[in-house]
Amino acid sequence: MKILTTIKKVVDVELTINVEAGAIVEDGLQYVMNAWDENAVEATVQLKENNNAETTMVSIGGGEDNTKIIRRGFAMGIDNGIQIDDPTLTEADSSVFARVLQKVYEKEGYDLIITGKQAQDTDNGQTGIMLAEYLAIPCVSNVIAIEVLDDQHISVSRLGDNGTEIVALELPAVVTVTDSINEPRLPGMRGLMMAKKKKIDVMDLSALGTSFEEVGGTALKSEIVEFMKSETREAGQKFEGDAADITAKVVDLLVNEAKVL
Amino acid sequence: MAKVLVIADIKQGALKGSTAELLSKAKAIGAEAAVVAIGSNLEALIPELANAGSDTQYIADDPGLELFSAGPYASCVVDAANQFGADLIWFSFSESGKAASPRVAAQLGAACATEITDVILNGDQVEIIRPAIANKVKQRVKINAERLVAVVRAGAFEATEGISGTENVVRLATPAADVKAVIKELISDATGEIDLADADIVISVGRGAKDQTGVDLIRALADDLGAGFGSSRAMVDGGFMAHNKQVGQTGKIVAPTLYMAMGISGAIQHLAGMNGSKVILAVNKDPEAPIFNVADYGIVGDLFEVVPLLREEIKKIRS
Repeated sequence: MKILTTIKKVVDVELTINVEAGAIVEDGLQYVMNAWDENAVEATVQLKENNNAETTMVSIGGGEDNTKIIRRGFAMGIDNGIQIDDPTLTEADSSVFARVLQKVYEKEGYDLIITGKQAQDTDNGQTGIMLAEYLAIPCVSNVIAIEVLDDQHISVSRLGDNGTEIVALELPAVVTVTDSINEPRLPGMRGLMMAKKKKIDVMDLSALGTSFEEVGGTALKSEIVEFMKSETREAGQKFEGDAADITAKVVDLLVNEAKVL
Repeated sequence: MAKVLVIADIKQGALKGSTAELLSKAKAIGAEAAVVAIGSNLEALIPELANAGSDTQYIADDPGLELFSAGPYASCVVDAANQFGADLIWFSFSESGKAASPRVAAQLGAACATEITDVILNGDQVEIIRPAIANKVKQRVKINAERLVAVVRAGAFEATEGISGTENVVRLATPAADVKAVIKELISDATGEIDLADADIVISVGRGAKDQTGVDLIRALADDLGAGFGSSRAMVDGGFMAHNKQVGQTGKIVAPTLYMAMGISGAIQHLAGMNGSKVILAVNKDPEAPIFNVADYGIVGDLFEVVPLLREEIKKIRS
Protein backbone atom coordinates (compact mmCIF):
# COMPACT_ATOMS: atom_id res chain seq x y z
CA MET A 1 0.00 0.00 0.00
CA LYS A 2 1.26 3.48 -0.89
CA ILE A 3 0.30 6.20 1.53
CA LEU A 4 0.58 9.95 0.98
CA THR A 5 0.45 12.06 4.13
CA THR A 6 0.10 15.83 4.06
CA ILE A 7 1.88 17.97 6.62
CA LYS A 8 1.67 21.71 7.16
CA LYS A 9 3.86 24.19 8.94
CA VAL A 10 1.80 26.30 11.37
CA VAL A 11 2.53 29.01 13.87
CA ASP A 12 2.99 27.67 17.40
CA VAL A 13 -0.44 28.44 18.88
CA GLU A 14 0.89 28.42 22.43
CA LEU A 15 2.70 31.70 21.77
CA THR A 16 1.19 35.17 21.94
CA ILE A 17 -0.01 36.32 18.53
CA ASN A 18 0.16 40.05 17.90
CA VAL A 19 -1.73 41.91 15.21
CA GLU A 20 -0.64 45.24 13.79
CA ALA A 21 -2.22 47.19 10.94
CA GLY A 22 -4.37 44.25 9.91
CA ALA A 23 -1.54 41.75 9.73
CA ILE A 24 -0.02 39.20 12.07
CA VAL A 25 3.32 40.34 13.46
CA GLU A 26 5.80 37.74 12.22
CA ASP A 27 8.54 38.77 14.62
CA GLY A 28 9.03 36.28 17.42
CA LEU A 29 6.71 33.65 15.96
CA GLN A 30 7.81 30.05 15.92
CA TYR A 31 6.60 27.34 13.61
CA VAL A 32 5.84 23.70 14.24
CA MET A 33 4.14 20.81 12.46
CA ASN A 34 0.36 21.16 12.65
CA ALA A 35 -0.69 19.01 15.63
CA TRP A 36 -3.35 17.08 13.69
CA ASP A 37 -0.78 16.38 10.97
CA GLU A 38 1.41 14.78 13.65
CA ASN A 39 -1.56 12.49 14.28
CA ALA A 40 -1.71 11.84 10.52
CA VAL A 41 2.01 10.99 10.45
CA GLU A 42 1.65 8.70 13.47
CA ALA A 43 -1.35 6.93 11.89
CA THR A 44 0.69 6.50 8.70
CA VAL A 45 3.73 5.09 10.48
CA GLN A 46 1.51 2.66 12.42
CA LEU A 47 -0.01 1.46 9.13
CA LYS A 48 3.50 1.04 7.76
CA GLU A 49 4.59 -0.97 10.80
CA ASN A 50 1.55 -3.23 10.68
CA ASN A 51 0.88 -3.49 6.96
CA ASN A 52 4.13 -2.94 5.15
CA ALA A 53 3.16 0.35 3.50
CA GLU A 54 5.37 2.69 1.49
CA THR A 55 5.00 6.13 3.00
CA THR A 56 5.46 9.57 1.50
CA MET A 57 4.73 12.95 3.04
CA VAL A 58 4.16 16.20 1.21
CA SER A 59 4.34 19.74 2.50
CA ILE A 60 3.56 22.95 0.65
CA GLY A 61 5.84 25.85 1.53
CA GLY A 62 9.44 26.89 1.60
CA GLY A 63 12.05 27.94 4.09
CA GLU A 64 13.91 26.42 6.98
CA ASP A 65 10.80 25.90 9.14
CA ASN A 66 9.18 23.84 6.44
CA THR A 67 12.28 21.70 6.01
CA LYS A 68 12.28 21.21 9.78
CA ILE A 69 8.80 19.66 9.88
CA ILE A 70 9.64 17.34 6.98
CA ARG A 71 12.74 16.20 8.91
CA ARG A 72 10.49 15.57 11.89
CA GLY A 73 8.26 13.42 9.68
CA PHE A 74 11.32 11.41 8.59
CA ALA A 75 12.36 11.01 12.20
CA MET A 76 8.89 9.71 13.09
CA GLY A 77 9.27 7.06 10.39
CA ILE A 78 8.01 8.37 7.02
CA ASP A 79 10.08 7.05 4.07
CA ASN A 80 9.92 9.86 1.48
CA GLY A 81 9.48 13.62 1.62
CA ILE A 82 8.16 15.99 -1.05
CA GLN A 83 8.28 19.74 -0.61
CA ILE A 84 6.31 21.98 -2.95
CA ASP A 85 8.23 25.22 -2.68
CA ASP A 86 6.78 27.91 -4.89
CA PRO A 87 6.71 31.59 -3.94
CA THR A 88 3.38 32.11 -5.73
CA LEU A 89 1.58 29.95 -3.19
CA THR A 90 1.98 32.14 -0.11
CA GLU A 91 -1.53 33.64 -0.32
CA ALA A 92 -3.34 30.53 -1.57
CA ASP A 93 -6.65 29.23 -0.17
CA SER A 94 -7.75 25.67 0.66
CA SER A 95 -9.03 25.04 -2.85
CA VAL A 96 -5.65 25.94 -4.37
CA PHE A 97 -3.79 23.72 -1.90
CA ALA A 98 -6.18 20.89 -2.76
CA ARG A 99 -5.45 21.41 -6.48
CA VAL A 100 -1.70 21.32 -5.81
CA LEU A 101 -2.07 18.13 -3.77
CA GLN A 102 -4.15 16.67 -6.58
CA LYS A 103 -1.13 17.12 -8.87
CA VAL A 104 1.16 15.51 -6.30
CA TYR A 105 -1.23 12.55 -6.09
CA GLU A 106 -1.53 12.21 -9.84
CA LYS A 107 2.23 12.24 -10.36
CA GLU A 108 2.85 9.02 -8.42
CA GLY A 109 -0.51 7.50 -7.58
CA TYR A 110 -1.30 6.44 -4.01
CA ASP A 111 -3.76 4.10 -2.33
CA LEU A 112 -4.47 6.23 0.69
CA ILE A 113 -4.10 9.90 1.57
CA ILE A 114 -4.05 10.83 5.25
CA THR A 115 -4.37 14.44 6.40
CA GLY A 116 -4.99 16.14 9.72
CA LYS A 117 -8.64 17.18 10.10
CA GLN A 118 -7.70 20.86 10.07
CA ALA A 119 -4.70 23.15 10.47
CA GLN A 120 -4.14 25.00 13.72
CA ASP A 121 -3.48 28.30 11.99
CA THR A 122 -6.57 28.58 9.79
CA ASP A 123 -8.89 26.04 11.47
CA ASN A 124 -10.48 25.58 8.04
CA GLY A 125 -10.64 21.80 7.74
CA GLN A 126 -11.32 21.91 4.00
CA THR A 127 -8.23 20.88 2.04
CA GLY A 128 -8.37 17.09 2.49
CA ILE A 129 -12.09 16.90 1.74
CA MET A 130 -11.76 19.14 -1.35
CA LEU A 131 -8.81 17.05 -2.54
CA ALA A 132 -11.00 13.92 -2.48
CA GLU A 133 -13.72 15.81 -4.33
CA TYR A 134 -11.28 16.94 -7.06
CA LEU A 135 -9.89 13.41 -7.36
CA ALA A 136 -13.42 11.95 -7.30
CA ILE A 137 -12.40 9.42 -4.66
CA PRO A 138 -14.17 8.65 -1.37
CA CYS A 139 -13.37 10.54 1.81
CA VAL A 140 -14.13 10.23 5.49
CA SER A 141 -13.28 13.09 7.86
CA ASN A 142 -12.81 13.29 11.64
CA VAL A 143 -11.48 9.74 11.84
CA ILE A 144 -10.40 8.10 15.12
CA ALA A 145 -9.38 4.63 13.88
CA ILE A 146 -8.14 3.03 10.64
CA GLU A 147 -8.08 -0.69 9.99
CA VAL A 148 -6.82 -2.29 6.78
CA LEU A 149 -9.28 -4.90 5.49
CA ASP A 150 -7.51 -5.94 2.28
CA ASP A 151 -5.52 -4.39 -0.59
CA GLN A 152 -8.53 -2.44 -1.77
CA HIS A 153 -10.46 -1.67 1.40
CA ILE A 154 -10.07 -0.08 4.79
CA SER A 155 -12.51 0.36 7.64
CA VAL A 156 -12.50 3.67 9.50
CA SER A 157 -14.28 4.95 12.60
CA ARG A 158 -15.51 8.51 12.42
CA LEU A 159 -16.86 10.76 15.16
CA GLY A 160 -20.15 12.02 13.77
CA ASP A 161 -23.02 14.04 15.17
CA ASN A 162 -24.90 11.01 16.46
CA GLY A 163 -22.08 8.76 17.54
CA THR A 164 -19.23 6.75 16.07
CA GLU A 165 -19.76 5.80 12.44
CA ILE A 166 -18.03 2.71 11.07
CA VAL A 167 -17.40 3.19 7.35
CA ALA A 168 -15.98 0.73 4.83
CA LEU A 169 -13.89 2.64 2.29
CA GLU A 170 -12.79 1.53 -1.12
CA LEU A 171 -9.25 2.63 -1.99
CA PRO A 172 -7.93 5.00 -3.16
CA ALA A 173 -9.44 7.26 -0.54
CA VAL A 174 -8.78 10.30 1.64
CA VAL A 175 -9.00 10.08 5.42
CA THR A 176 -8.73 13.13 7.69
CA VAL A 177 -7.82 12.29 11.27
CA THR A 178 -8.51 13.94 14.60
CA ASP A 179 -6.32 13.96 17.68
CA SER A 180 -8.15 11.12 19.42
CA ILE A 181 -6.75 8.64 16.89
CA ASN A 182 -3.34 8.28 18.55
CA GLU A 183 -0.56 9.85 20.59
CA PRO A 184 2.16 10.95 18.13
CA ARG A 185 5.57 9.49 19.00
CA LEU A 186 8.44 11.75 19.98
CA PRO A 187 11.27 11.12 17.53
CA GLY A 188 14.43 9.87 19.21
CA MET A 189 17.87 11.40 18.82
CA ARG A 190 18.95 8.67 16.40
CA GLY A 191 15.89 9.22 14.23
CA LEU A 192 16.51 12.96 14.16
CA MET A 193 20.15 12.39 13.14
CA MET A 194 19.14 9.98 10.36
CA ALA A 195 16.47 12.42 9.19
CA LYS A 196 19.10 15.07 8.52
CA LYS A 197 20.71 12.86 5.89
CA LYS A 198 17.50 12.08 4.02
CA LYS A 199 16.87 13.71 0.68
CA ILE A 200 13.81 15.91 0.29
CA ASP A 201 12.28 16.02 -3.16
CA VAL A 202 11.83 19.77 -3.66
CA MET A 203 9.67 20.98 -6.55
CA ASP A 204 8.05 24.17 -7.69
CA LEU A 205 4.75 24.18 -9.57
CA SER A 206 6.35 23.82 -12.99
CA ALA A 207 8.42 20.82 -11.84
CA LEU A 208 5.14 19.41 -10.58
CA GLY A 209 3.78 19.81 -14.10
CA THR A 210 1.31 22.57 -13.38
CA SER A 211 1.04 26.33 -13.05
CA PHE A 212 -0.30 28.90 -10.62
CA GLU A 213 -3.19 29.54 -12.98
CA GLU A 214 -4.07 25.87 -13.38
CA VAL A 215 -4.35 25.34 -9.61
CA GLY A 216 -6.70 28.31 -9.35
CA GLY A 217 -4.17 30.71 -7.88
CA THR A 218 -5.12 33.57 -10.17
CA ALA A 219 -8.82 33.24 -9.34
CA LEU A 220 -8.90 32.90 -5.56
CA LYS A 221 -12.40 32.19 -4.28
CA SER A 222 -11.76 34.19 -1.15
CA GLU A 223 -9.05 36.46 0.24
CA ILE A 224 -8.18 37.52 3.76
CA VAL A 225 -8.55 41.29 3.87
CA GLU A 226 -7.27 41.78 7.39
CA PHE A 227 -6.51 40.14 10.69
CA MET A 228 -7.90 41.52 13.91
CA LYS A 229 -7.03 40.71 17.48
CA SER A 230 -9.81 38.66 19.11
CA GLU A 231 -11.64 40.23 21.99
CA THR A 232 -9.94 38.72 24.98
CA ARG A 233 -11.83 37.94 28.13
CA GLU A 234 -10.65 39.76 31.19
CA ALA A 235 -9.85 37.79 34.31
CA GLY A 236 -12.75 38.36 36.69
CA GLN A 237 -13.01 37.93 40.43
CA LYS A 238 -10.97 35.13 41.95
CA PHE A 239 -11.67 34.00 45.49
CA GLU A 240 -9.37 32.19 47.88
CA GLY A 241 -9.92 31.21 51.47
CA ASP A 242 -12.51 29.22 53.38
CA ALA A 243 -14.25 26.98 50.82
CA ALA A 244 -17.72 27.35 52.34
CA ASP A 245 -17.47 31.14 52.48
CA ILE A 246 -16.17 31.68 48.99
CA THR A 247 -18.56 29.14 47.43
CA ALA A 248 -21.53 30.91 49.03
CA LYS A 249 -20.15 34.24 47.84
CA VAL A 250 -19.72 33.04 44.24
CA VAL A 251 -23.20 31.48 44.10
CA ASP A 252 -24.60 34.78 45.34
CA LEU A 253 -22.72 36.61 42.55
CA LEU A 254 -23.93 34.15 39.91
CA VAL A 255 -27.51 34.73 41.06
CA ASN A 256 -27.53 38.46 41.79
CA GLU A 257 -24.72 39.97 39.73
CA ALA A 258 -24.38 37.78 36.64
CA LYS A 259 -28.03 36.62 36.87
CA VAL A 260 -27.25 33.28 35.30
CA LEU A 261 -28.48 30.91 38.02
CA MET B 1 -32.10 40.17 -3.06
CA ALA B 2 -29.60 37.67 -1.74
CA LYS B 3 -30.80 34.12 -1.32
CA VAL B 4 -29.73 32.11 1.70
CA LEU B 5 -30.12 28.35 1.91
CA VAL B 6 -29.84 27.00 5.45
CA ILE B 7 -29.17 23.31 6.01
CA ALA B 8 -31.53 22.14 8.76
CA ASP B 9 -29.65 20.85 11.78
CA ILE B 10 -31.48 17.67 12.71
CA LYS B 11 -30.24 15.42 15.47
CA GLN B 12 -31.99 12.25 16.56
CA GLY B 13 -35.11 13.34 14.73
CA ALA B 14 -35.32 16.76 16.37
CA LEU B 15 -34.72 20.15 14.77
CA LYS B 16 -32.00 22.03 16.63
CA GLY B 17 -32.34 25.67 17.64
CA SER B 18 -29.39 26.65 15.45
CA THR B 19 -31.61 26.33 12.34
CA ALA B 20 -33.82 29.22 13.48
CA GLU B 21 -30.68 31.20 14.42
CA LEU B 22 -29.29 30.93 10.89
CA LEU B 23 -32.65 31.67 9.26
CA SER B 24 -33.05 34.71 11.54
CA LYS B 25 -29.67 36.01 10.42
CA ALA B 26 -30.65 35.45 6.77
CA LYS B 27 -33.75 37.59 7.23
CA ALA B 28 -31.83 40.18 9.26
CA ILE B 29 -29.51 40.80 6.30
CA GLY B 30 -32.54 41.15 4.04
CA ALA B 31 -32.17 37.83 2.25
CA GLU B 32 -34.76 35.40 0.99
CA ALA B 33 -34.48 32.30 3.17
CA ALA B 34 -34.99 28.63 2.36
CA VAL B 35 -34.13 25.52 4.29
CA VAL B 36 -33.06 22.06 3.16
CA ALA B 37 -33.78 19.10 5.42
CA ILE B 38 -32.01 15.80 4.77
CA GLY B 39 -32.83 12.54 6.53
CA SER B 40 -35.56 10.04 7.10
CA ASN B 41 -39.09 10.48 8.53
CA LEU B 42 -39.02 14.25 8.17
CA GLU B 43 -42.74 14.80 7.45
CA ALA B 44 -43.58 15.86 11.00
CA LEU B 45 -40.78 18.44 10.99
CA ILE B 46 -42.09 20.44 8.00
CA PRO B 47 -44.28 22.91 9.95
CA GLU B 48 -41.41 23.42 12.37
CA LEU B 49 -39.01 24.09 9.49
CA ALA B 50 -41.34 26.80 8.19
CA ASN B 51 -41.84 28.29 11.66
CA ALA B 52 -38.09 28.48 12.12
CA GLY B 53 -38.13 31.22 9.48
CA SER B 54 -37.97 29.60 6.05
CA ASP B 55 -40.24 30.39 3.08
CA THR B 56 -39.26 27.34 1.04
CA GLN B 57 -38.50 23.89 2.42
CA TYR B 58 -36.44 21.51 0.28
CA ILE B 59 -37.03 18.04 1.66
CA ALA B 60 -34.84 15.00 0.98
CA ASP B 61 -36.67 12.31 2.93
CA ASP B 62 -35.63 8.71 2.39
CA PRO B 63 -34.78 5.73 4.63
CA GLY B 64 -31.42 5.60 2.81
CA LEU B 65 -30.60 9.05 4.20
CA GLU B 66 -31.17 8.10 7.82
CA LEU B 67 -27.49 7.51 8.55
CA PHE B 68 -25.17 10.38 7.65
CA SER B 69 -23.05 9.86 4.56
CA ALA B 70 -21.22 12.98 3.38
CA GLY B 71 -21.52 12.26 -0.36
CA PRO B 72 -25.32 11.92 -0.68
CA TYR B 73 -25.82 14.60 1.98
CA ALA B 74 -23.74 17.06 -0.06
CA SER B 75 -25.60 16.06 -3.25
CA CYS B 76 -28.92 17.01 -1.63
CA VAL B 77 -27.52 20.41 -0.61
CA VAL B 78 -26.15 21.05 -4.11
CA ASP B 79 -29.52 20.08 -5.63
CA ALA B 80 -31.43 22.43 -3.32
CA ALA B 81 -28.87 25.24 -3.81
CA ASN B 82 -29.22 25.00 -7.59
CA GLN B 83 -33.02 24.84 -7.55
CA PHE B 84 -33.23 27.80 -5.16
CA GLY B 85 -30.44 29.76 -6.85
CA ALA B 86 -28.77 30.25 -3.47
CA ASP B 87 -25.95 32.78 -3.14
CA LEU B 88 -25.18 31.85 0.45
CA ILE B 89 -25.34 28.30 1.77
CA TRP B 90 -25.10 27.98 5.53
CA PHE B 91 -24.54 24.96 7.71
CA SER B 92 -24.90 24.96 11.49
CA PHE B 93 -21.82 24.04 13.45
CA SER B 94 -21.87 20.25 13.31
CA GLU B 95 -19.70 17.35 12.19
CA SER B 96 -22.00 16.78 9.21
CA GLY B 97 -21.68 20.45 8.23
CA LYS B 98 -17.90 20.34 8.52
CA ALA B 99 -17.78 17.16 6.40
CA ALA B 100 -20.24 18.27 3.71
CA SER B 101 -19.40 21.98 3.26
CA PRO B 102 -16.08 21.56 1.38
CA ARG B 103 -17.74 19.03 -0.94
CA VAL B 104 -20.63 21.37 -1.69
CA ALA B 105 -18.21 24.25 -2.29
CA ALA B 106 -16.05 22.14 -4.61
CA GLN B 107 -19.09 20.99 -6.60
CA LEU B 108 -20.53 24.49 -6.91
CA GLY B 109 -17.18 26.21 -7.51
CA ALA B 110 -18.06 28.28 -4.46
CA ALA B 111 -15.90 29.79 -1.76
CA CYS B 112 -15.87 27.87 1.51
CA ALA B 113 -15.56 29.31 5.00
CA THR B 114 -15.85 27.41 8.26
CA GLU B 115 -16.71 28.71 11.73
CA ILE B 116 -17.91 32.11 10.55
CA THR B 117 -19.19 34.50 13.20
CA ASP B 118 -20.59 37.22 10.97
CA VAL B 119 -21.60 37.97 7.40
CA ILE B 120 -21.47 41.48 5.94
CA LEU B 121 -23.30 42.28 2.72
CA ASN B 122 -22.24 45.41 0.91
CA GLY B 123 -24.16 45.51 -2.34
CA ASP B 124 -22.96 42.40 -4.17
CA GLN B 125 -19.81 42.16 -2.09
CA VAL B 126 -19.86 39.54 0.66
CA GLU B 127 -17.43 39.53 3.55
CA ILE B 128 -17.27 37.20 6.50
CA ILE B 129 -15.62 37.31 9.90
CA ARG B 130 -14.15 34.17 11.41
CA PRO B 131 -11.75 33.29 14.20
CA ALA B 132 -8.42 31.59 13.45
CA ILE B 133 -5.31 30.35 15.26
CA ALA B 134 -7.25 28.79 18.13
CA ASN B 135 -9.40 31.91 18.49
CA LYS B 136 -6.42 34.20 19.05
CA VAL B 137 -7.18 36.31 15.99
CA LYS B 138 -10.09 37.08 13.73
CA GLN B 139 -9.99 37.23 9.94
CA ARG B 140 -12.06 39.48 7.71
CA VAL B 141 -12.39 37.58 4.45
CA LYS B 142 -13.60 38.91 1.11
CA ILE B 143 -15.54 36.41 -0.97
CA ASN B 144 -14.62 36.55 -4.66
CA ALA B 145 -16.66 33.57 -5.88
CA GLU B 146 -20.31 34.05 -6.79
CA ARG B 147 -21.43 31.72 -4.04
CA LEU B 148 -20.34 31.12 -0.49
CA VAL B 149 -20.67 27.89 1.48
CA ALA B 150 -20.18 28.50 5.18
CA VAL B 151 -20.33 26.70 8.50
CA VAL B 152 -21.56 29.06 11.21
CA ARG B 153 -19.84 28.91 14.55
CA ALA B 154 -22.03 27.79 17.46
CA GLY B 155 -23.71 30.72 19.16
CA ALA B 156 -22.71 33.27 16.49
CA PHE B 157 -26.25 34.25 15.44
CA GLU B 158 -29.33 34.77 17.58
CA ALA B 159 -32.83 33.63 16.76
CA THR B 160 -35.25 36.51 16.26
CA GLU B 161 -38.16 36.23 18.63
CA GLY B 162 -41.44 35.57 16.87
CA ILE B 163 -39.77 34.67 13.57
CA SER B 164 -42.04 32.79 11.21
CA GLY B 165 -42.14 31.53 7.64
CA THR B 166 -44.45 30.01 5.10
CA GLU B 167 -44.86 26.41 4.10
CA ASN B 168 -43.79 25.78 0.53
CA VAL B 169 -42.43 22.27 0.19
CA VAL B 170 -40.19 21.11 -2.65
CA ARG B 171 -39.33 17.40 -2.66
CA LEU B 172 -35.79 16.48 -3.67
CA ALA B 173 -34.88 13.32 -5.53
CA THR B 174 -32.94 10.83 -3.41
CA PRO B 175 -29.29 10.79 -4.52
CA ALA B 176 -27.42 7.55 -5.16
CA ALA B 177 -25.71 6.01 -2.16
CA ASP B 178 -21.92 6.33 -1.95
CA VAL B 179 -20.86 2.79 -2.84
CA LYS B 180 -17.21 3.56 -2.13
CA ALA B 181 -17.81 4.79 1.42
CA VAL B 182 -20.41 2.54 2.96
CA ILE B 183 -21.59 3.22 6.47
CA LYS B 184 -21.72 -0.15 8.19
CA GLU B 185 -22.79 0.81 11.64
CA LEU B 186 -23.60 3.74 13.89
CA ILE B 187 -22.61 3.29 17.49
CA SER B 188 -25.03 5.83 18.89
CA ASP B 189 -23.83 8.11 21.64
CA ALA B 190 -27.38 9.10 22.58
CA THR B 191 -27.40 8.94 26.35
CA GLY B 192 -30.61 10.73 27.14
CA GLU B 193 -28.45 13.51 28.55
CA ILE B 194 -28.99 17.05 27.35
CA ASP B 195 -26.98 17.86 24.22
CA LEU B 196 -24.09 20.24 24.96
CA ALA B 197 -25.17 22.49 22.07
CA ASP B 198 -28.64 22.96 23.58
CA ALA B 199 -27.70 23.49 27.21
CA ASP B 200 -27.99 26.91 28.89
CA ILE B 201 -25.49 25.74 31.44
CA VAL B 202 -22.53 23.50 30.59
CA ILE B 203 -20.39 21.96 33.31
CA SER B 204 -17.11 20.41 32.22
CA VAL B 205 -14.85 18.12 34.12
CA GLY B 206 -11.06 18.18 33.91
CA ARG B 207 -8.02 16.39 35.23
CA GLY B 208 -8.65 17.81 38.69
CA ALA B 209 -11.54 15.36 39.08
CA LYS B 210 -8.91 12.59 39.03
CA ASP B 211 -11.15 9.55 38.51
CA GLN B 212 -14.68 8.18 38.28
CA THR B 213 -15.54 9.33 41.81
CA GLY B 214 -14.72 12.91 40.84
CA VAL B 215 -16.60 12.63 37.56
CA ASP B 216 -19.70 11.29 39.34
CA LEU B 217 -19.52 14.06 41.92
CA ILE B 218 -19.60 16.73 39.20
CA ARG B 219 -22.20 14.88 37.15
CA ALA B 220 -24.52 15.15 40.17
CA LEU B 221 -24.17 18.94 40.07
CA ALA B 222 -24.93 18.90 36.32
CA ASP B 223 -28.04 16.78 37.03
CA ASP B 224 -29.18 19.22 39.73
CA LEU B 225 -28.98 22.09 37.26
CA GLY B 226 -30.18 20.26 34.14
CA ALA B 227 -26.84 21.25 32.70
CA GLY B 228 -24.93 19.76 29.78
CA PHE B 229 -22.00 17.68 31.01
CA GLY B 230 -18.77 18.18 29.08
CA SER B 231 -15.14 17.31 29.44
CA SER B 232 -11.59 18.39 28.84
CA ARG B 233 -9.40 16.28 26.59
CA ALA B 234 -7.57 14.75 29.57
CA MET B 235 -10.68 13.03 30.94
CA VAL B 236 -11.63 11.71 27.49
CA ASP B 237 -8.14 10.30 26.98
CA GLY B 238 -8.31 8.86 30.48
CA GLY B 239 -11.43 6.95 29.47
CA PHE B 240 -13.68 8.67 32.00
CA MET B 241 -15.75 10.65 29.50
CA ALA B 242 -17.05 9.90 26.00
CA HIS B 243 -15.41 11.48 22.93
CA ASN B 244 -18.55 13.40 22.11
CA LYS B 245 -18.36 15.24 25.43
CA GLN B 246 -15.01 16.86 24.68
CA VAL B 247 -15.21 20.64 24.61
CA GLY B 248 -12.45 22.36 22.67
CA GLN B 249 -10.99 23.31 19.34
CA THR B 250 -11.12 19.73 18.15
CA GLY B 251 -14.37 18.75 19.85
CA LYS B 252 -17.55 20.60 20.65
CA ILE B 253 -17.64 24.36 20.57
CA VAL B 254 -20.14 25.68 23.09
CA ALA B 255 -21.39 29.13 24.03
CA PRO B 256 -23.81 28.64 26.94
CA THR B 257 -25.08 31.30 29.34
CA LEU B 258 -22.99 29.78 32.11
CA TYR B 259 -19.94 27.55 31.71
CA MET B 260 -18.48 25.88 34.76
CA ALA B 261 -14.92 24.56 34.39
CA MET B 262 -14.27 22.03 37.13
CA GLY B 263 -10.64 21.10 37.66
CA ILE B 264 -9.72 22.26 34.15
CA SER B 265 -6.38 24.03 33.83
CA GLY B 266 -7.38 25.86 30.65
CA ALA B 267 -5.21 24.70 27.75
CA ILE B 268 -5.54 26.91 24.69
CA GLN B 269 -7.36 24.14 22.80
CA HIS B 270 -9.99 23.91 25.53
CA LEU B 271 -10.41 27.68 25.78
CA ALA B 272 -11.04 27.85 22.03
CA GLY B 273 -14.10 25.67 22.57
CA MET B 274 -15.74 27.64 25.36
CA ASN B 275 -14.49 31.21 25.53
CA GLY B 276 -17.61 32.44 23.76
CA SER B 277 -19.66 31.55 26.86
CA LYS B 278 -21.52 34.43 28.47
CA VAL B 279 -20.29 33.78 32.01
CA ILE B 280 -17.49 31.44 33.07
CA LEU B 281 -16.99 29.98 36.52
CA ALA B 282 -13.78 28.11 37.23
CA VAL B 283 -12.92 25.90 40.17
CA ASN B 284 -9.28 24.89 40.41
CA LYS B 285 -6.78 24.10 43.15
CA ASP B 286 -3.99 25.95 41.35
CA PRO B 287 -4.41 29.74 41.68
CA GLU B 288 -2.12 30.17 38.66
CA ALA B 289 -4.21 27.96 36.33
CA PRO B 290 -4.74 29.76 33.00
CA ILE B 291 -8.49 29.09 33.21
CA PHE B 292 -8.67 31.92 35.78
CA ASN B 293 -7.52 34.38 33.08
CA VAL B 294 -10.82 33.90 31.24
CA ALA B 295 -13.13 33.14 34.16
CA ASP B 296 -15.57 35.80 35.37
CA TYR B 297 -15.67 34.05 38.72
CA GLY B 298 -12.95 31.85 40.11
CA ILE B 299 -12.89 29.64 43.17
CA VAL B 300 -9.41 28.55 44.21
CA GLY B 301 -10.02 25.29 45.96
CA ASP B 302 -10.31 21.53 45.85
CA LEU B 303 -13.31 20.58 43.75
CA PHE B 304 -13.98 17.59 46.01
CA GLU B 305 -14.69 20.12 48.72
CA VAL B 306 -16.22 22.88 46.59
CA VAL B 307 -18.67 20.89 44.45
CA PRO B 308 -20.74 19.52 47.37
CA LEU B 309 -20.85 23.08 48.76
CA LEU B 310 -21.99 24.40 45.37
CA ARG B 311 -24.78 21.82 45.28
CA GLU B 312 -25.87 22.81 48.78
CA GLU B 313 -25.86 26.55 48.03
CA ILE B 314 -27.73 26.06 44.76
CA LYS B 315 -30.32 23.86 46.48
CA LYS B 316 -30.82 26.63 49.04
CA ILE B 317 -31.51 29.31 46.45
CA ARG B 318 -33.72 27.03 44.39
CA SER B 319 -35.96 26.01 47.30
